[in-house]
Amino acid sequence: MNQEPFVDDIETYAQDIVDTVREPLLMLDTNLRVQSANRAFYETFHVSPAETENQLIYQLGNGQWDIPGLRTLLEDVIPTSSVFNDFELEHSFPIIGRRIMLLNGRKLRAGSHSAIIVLAMEDVTERRRSEADLRAIETYAQDIVDTVREPLLILDTTLRVQSGNRAFYQTFKVSPDETENHLIYELGNGQWDIPALRTLLEDIVPTSSVFNDFELAHDFPELGRRVMLLNARKLQAGHHGELIVLAMEDVTERRRAEEEVAKAKEASEIANRTKSLFLANMSHELRTPLNAIVGYSEMLQEEAAEQHLDSFTDDLGKITTSGRHLLALINDILDLSKIEAGKMELFLENFELSALIQDVATTIQPMVEKNSNQLRIEISPDLGGMRADQVKVRQALFNLLSNAAKFTHEGSITLNADREKMDGMEWIIFRVTDTGIGLSPDKIVRLFQDFTQADASTTRKFGGTGLGLALTRRFCQMMGGDVTLKSKPGVGSTFTIKLPSVVTEARSEVISAADFDGTDIVDATDRSTDPPTVPGTCVLVIDDDPAQRELMRRFLSKEGFSVRSAVNGEDGLKLARQLLPIAITLDVMMPEMDGWVVLDSLKADPLLRDIPVIMLTMVDDAERGFALGAADYVTKPVNRRRIARILGRYSCANPPCPILVVDDDSRTRSAMRVMLEKSGCRVTEAENGEAALTSMEAERPSLIFLDLMMPVMDGFAFADRVRTHSEWRTIPIIVVTSHDLTGEERRRLNGYVEQILQTSGSSRDELLIQVRDALDNFSIPHEAIA
Amino acid sequence: MHRILLVEDNEMNRDMLSRRLMRKGYEVIIAVDGEQGVAMAKSEAPDLILMDMSLPIIDGWEATRSLKGAEATKAIPVIALTAHAMSTDREKAMEAGCDDYDTKPIELSRLLEKMQALIGRKNETIASSGGNA
Repeated sequence: MNQEPFVDDIETYAQDIVDTVREPLLMLDTNLRVQSANRAFYETFHVSPAETENQLIYQLGNGQWDIPGLRTLLEDVIPTSSVFNDFELEHSFPIIGRRIMLLNGRKLRAGSHSAIIVLAMEDVTERRRSEADLRAIETYAQDIVDTVREPLLILDTTLRVQSGNRAFYQTFKVSPDETENHLIYELGNGQWDIPALRTLLEDIVPTSSVFNDFELAHDFPELGRRVMLLNARKLQAGHHGELIVLAMEDVTERRRAEEEVAKAKEASEIANRTKSLFLANMSHELRTPLNAIVGYSEMLQEEAAEQHLDSFTDDLGKITTSGRHLLALINDILDLSKIEAGKMELFLENFELSALIQDVATTIQPMVEKNSNQLRIEISPDLGGMRADQVKVRQALFNLLSNAAKFTHEGSITLNADREKMDGMEWIIFRVTDTGIGLSPDKIVRLFQDFTQADASTTRKFGGTGLGLALTRRFCQMMGGDVTLKSKPGVGSTFTIKLPSVVTEARSEVISAADFDGTDIVDATDRSTDPPTVPGTCVLVIDDDPAQRELMRRFLSKEGFSVRSAVNGEDGLKLARQLLPIAITLDVMMPEMDGWVVLDSLKADPLLRDIPVIMLTMVDDAERGFALGAADYVTKPVNRRRIARILGRYSCANPPCPILVVDDDSRTRSAMRVMLEKSGCRVTEAENGEAALTSMEAERPSLIFLDLMMPVMDGFAFADRVRTHSEWRTIPIIVVTSHDLTGEERRRLNGYVEQILQTSGSSRDELLIQVRDALDNFSIPHEAIA
Repeated sequence: MHRILLVEDNEMNRDMLSRRLMRKGYEVIIAVDGEQGVAMAKSEAPDLILMDMSLPIIDGWEATRSLKGAEATKAIPVIALTAHAMSTDREKAMEAGCDDYDTKPIELSRLLEKMQALIGRKNETIASSGGNA
C-alpha cells in the first residue's frame, strides 16, 4: 500500500493543530534554526514567516531571543534531557515590551524527519501581575483585620474558626493555636457556647447573610459579665468558599453609662416634679393664713371707716395692700411651678379688647401716678375682640405696665393695641412704651435669658413681683405668641406682646396638631427626644399616624413602659431588630407596607418572631379603635417548632391541655391536630367562629388557634366575642395568618378590620385598656439574651 | 332680707365672710361640709349659695351637681369660691352647674355685685314663670 497520502494527512493534521494552538510555538532543528512557527507566534511577536523560517532563533527579531537563560536551556538542557518545563523568563522584547514568558521545550522525533525542538511560549505576564495584586490585597486585608481594635473572628460555614485578629486574641486572652480550626463553641473552654449565639449563627446567618447590632450579655470566665454588640457578614471569599465575619464590640461600659444617664435623668425629673408639687402645696398652705390676714384687715378697715376711725383706716389699708402683694407673689410662684410641671392650662374665651384694656388701665392708674407718670392708651379702631385666655392676657398687660411704671419717673407710658396680618395669620399686638431708664443691649440679652430661667437675679432686678416678667413671657408662649423688647439706655423701652387673634386650643391630654410641629416625631429611627430605652420595658409602636403614635406613647409611658415609635413598616422592622422590644403594637392600615406585611416579616425573622405583636387600628375622627386581641401570630404553613415554642409559653396547669383550632380549611385543622397531639395536647376543631363559640360553651380551651378569614363568623368577630366574654377574655388567642398574603387577601383583611370598626368599634379608651390587657398577658419575662 | 347659705369648712373664712355679709344686710346661714350644705339648701331654701369647692365629705363640685340635679334646689344660684384663679377649677365649677365663681381671698365689692346680679335674675325668672302659671 502507498502510505504517502496517509503521512501527508498526518502532517497536515499536525500543522492544523499547531496553528490552532493559541500559545506561540517555534519548531527548531537541532541547530536551533527555525523550521516553522505557528500563527500564534507570528501574531504575538508581530513578525512574518519570511523573517523567521530558516533563521537561527537568536537572530529573530533583531536578536530579541538572544537571551542567556534561553541559550542555557537550548544548548545545555535540551541536548541531554530532551525536555524542560515551565522555565520562567522575564525579558524586555523590543516590540511587545517587558513580558514574563513560561517556556516549555520538547525534543521530538517525527518519523523520518530529523529531530525537532518544539518551543512553546506562554505569556504569563498578566497572570503574574494579578497574582501579585491578589497577594497584596490579601496582605492589605489582613493588615486591616489586625489593625481593627474590635475583636473579629473569621468562621467557615461549619462555624470553625479560620482565623481571629490580634484584637480577638488580646481581648479574650487566647492564642491562635487554641483558636484556629476549632469550632467557635469550643473556644476558651466553651465560653462562646451561648444559646443566643447559637440561634444567631445557626438560624439567622444561614438565611439572612447579615445581622447588625445584636446585643449579647454573657458571663465570660476570663472577663466577667460583658455586653457585646455582635455584627456578622457572610462573605464569598474566592477559593476560601463562604466565610462568616463575626465582629464583637464590647459595649459594657457604654451600656452602663447609658443606664446611669437614664437613671440620673429620671432622678432629676422626679426631683423637679417633687419640687413643683412641693411649691404648689406650699403655696396653698401659705395662702390659707394670708386669706385670713387680708380678709380680717379689710373687714376692720370697713368697720373703722363706718366708725370714722381715720387713723386706723390708713394703717389697716397698708396691711391689706401688703397682704395682697404677698398673695400675688405666691400666686406667681404657683403659676411658674405649674408651667414647669406642665400643669398650666389655657381657658379660651372670646372677649372684647377695648373693655379689657380700659379695665387694666383703671387698675394700673394708681401705680402710674405714684411716679408722676402719664398713661396714654392708643387703640386702633378695628381692634375688635380676640379668642385667648383672658386672665392671662390681662395679667401679661398688667405686668408690663407695672414694670414700666416702676422704671419711669415723671414720664409717659403708652399702651398701644393693634390688629396686624403677618405670615397669613391675624395677630393682636400690644406695645407698652415708656420713657424710663431703658436698658443697654447686653442687659436686654441677659433680661431675656433671665426670663427663661426666672431665677433669683430677675427677681432682684425688678424687685417686687419680678416673677411677673418671666410669667408674662411664658403665658404669651403658651398662647402661641411671644414678648420682645426694644430699648435704649436713657431713652426708654418698648415691650411688644404678639398673640394670635384666635389662640388655638393647646389641650394637654388630647393630642393637637401643635404637638407635631414637624421636628418631633417625623424622624422615626433617631428621635433625640426619645428617652434611652430601659431593657425589658421597651414597647415599639409602629403607626403612620402621628396622633396615634403620640397617644400610644403617652398611654404606654404612663403604664411604665419606655416607648419608641416608627412611622412605617420598614423603619419599624429596623427598629425592632435594633431594640428587641418586649412587645410591638402594629397599625393594621398603613400606606405602602401595611400591618399584615409587617407582621409577616416579623414572624419570618428568627430574631423577632417571638416578640408579641398587638395588631390594632384606630379611626381617628370617630375615636374608635380596634385591637385584635391576639397573644401571638403564626404564619401558614404552620411550622412545628413555632407551635412547640408557643405551647411552651402558654401551657396549662393540668395536661393534656384542651386546645381549640378554629379554621375553615380541614387540611390545616388536621395538620394542626397532628402537631398538637404529638405535643400531648387535646384538640377540638371548629370550622368557623360560631362553631367555635358553641364548642367553648361545652369546654373552655386553654389556648385557641384562630384563622381570620372564615365563613359564617370570621376570626375578627370571634376574637371580639371572646374578648368581651368575662370568663373567656383571658384565653390566649394565637392567630394563624397566611404567609405571603396576596394583594387581594390583604385588602380583604383590611376590609374586615374596617367592618369590625363599623359594627363594634370600641372607644379610644377601651382600645387603650385592651392594649394594656394584652401587655399584661405578655408579662412572661422576655427571654433575655444570654 | 335675702338669705345666703355659706358652705365653707374653714372657720376663719366662715367667720369673716358671714360677718361682712351680715353687715351688708344679708341673713347668713352656715354649713361646714358639702353634705350639710345640700341638706340645708333643701330645708332652708336660701336665695343664694356661696360654695367653697374643697370641702370635706362631699366636695363643692359634687354638692353643686346634686343641688342642680334636684327639682327643689336647682333654681338656687350657686357661686363657686375657688382658692386661686385656676382655669381648671373655674371650668370644673361651671361644668358642675355653678352660676358664677369668684376667687379667695374675697374682694367684697366684686362678690356683692355678682350676688346681686344672680339674686336679681332669679327673682325675674320666678316672676316670669309665676306669670305664666
